[in-house]
Amino acid sequence: MIDNTSHYLNRFKASLKIDQLIKDGVADELYGHLEDKVRELEEEGLSREEAYKVAIQSLGSPEMVAQQVYETHAQGSWREAVFSALPHFLVALLFTSYYWQSAIALSITLVLTVGIAIYGWQRGKPIWLFPWLGYYIMPVVVTGIMLLNLPQGWGWIAALIYIPLALYALIHIMKQTARRDWLYASLMLAPMPVIFSWFLSIGTGSEFLTSDVWMARLQSKAPWVVMSFIALAAGTIAFIRLKPRKYKIMSLLIPPLCILLGVTWVGRGSIEPWGWVILLFSLCAFAVPVWMQARPQN
Amino acid sequence: MNYGRELLKGNTDSLLLCLISREPTYGYKVVKELEQRSNGYFRFKEGTLYPALHRLEREGLIEGRWQILANGQQRRYYYITEKGKEVLAARLATWQDFSTAVKAVMQAETV
Repeated sequence: MIDNTSHYLNRFKASLKIDQLIKDGVADELYGHLEDKVRELEEEGLSREEAYKVAIQSLGSPEMVAQQVYETHAQGSWREAVFSALPHFLVALLFTSYYWQSAIALSITLVLTVGIAIYGWQRGKPIWLFPWLGYYIMPVVVTGIMLLNLPQGWGWIAALIYIPLALYALIHIMKQTARRDWLYASLMLAPMPVIFSWFLSIGTGSEFLTSDVWMARLQSKAPWVVMSFIALAAGTIAFIRLKPRKYKIMSLLIPPLCILLGVTWVGRGSIEPWGWVILLFSLCAFAVPVWMQARPQN
Repeated sequence: MNYGRELLKGNTDSLLLCLISREPTYGYKVVKELEQRSNGYFRFKEGTLYPALHRLEREGLIEGRWQILANGQQRRYYYITEKGKEVLAARLATWQDFSTAVKAVMQAETV
């Protein structure tokens, strides 16, 4: 009988992807409800076993209740939506002129991103934090790519040491994020395929970052870069505001995938073989959390 | 589509606010009150009550507080907020006007 209650509550919890505190709170309420109902049914003359059966039936399917609770809590406010999209708007702003080449503008953006990420982390990881975290971890990945441009031989040695460490850090952050909801890990990593597709389709080999040619090429694409980050911001706002989970997934997946496909298709001639590996990696890192959440729950 | 169910769905928030405004209460008691006061007319899957309560709480119309009973059991009691009282008053006034108008039109047909 107690097993029936546990089974019901476990199914409810497994179907519900929200903050653990809220999830436990609703589960405790359902548990109290079942206890009250069973007590009353027993007083009416039902056996304990029958009482549990009727009480559980009267609550309705745990998946249905979980879905309704999810839709109640999954919709963020407009304020949260705008704050979540803000890092994407900031990057778009950097490319509206030559700000992205300005050390001051880049430093302000970096300090702002790090500061807000730390602030959000200390405030209990609210939903708006995850897109900021995505940019926060970006320097880790970019440093790894830059290592490939060290003098012959050294690059690969550095990368061999660096890549496992960076991967460990990335997976650790993803696991921490996914504990709450797998989709938040994808929300966090959404800028990665976009940044890499621009990064790799414009530069080749040793031209990376330092070359004036590379910078001129990137500047010539600036309007498209701005549009891609605005699309990312729009997808993020939709993700926060929409209630049904399937629409959330669509708003999360569509902008980065379209940008990645479009940019890499246009710039496919400039991408080196290792560039394709990095793109594939970024795509997997971004899409795997969505796939993980779509798996049937046992 | 079941008309009665649609009517209940459209008025769930007002019914819950009305019950909670009378005295702070908890989920199971809300179900019992709804059933008793409506002479069994309002029956629904009881688990769906909690998403509705949480939605009202997110809108700032009610506030949930955990309380420990003498037997050690925990219950989450819901209290109506000032904003909830204002919303309820407005909805009751609208409902009064609406039901008067509906009665005036339909009474002849139902006699």
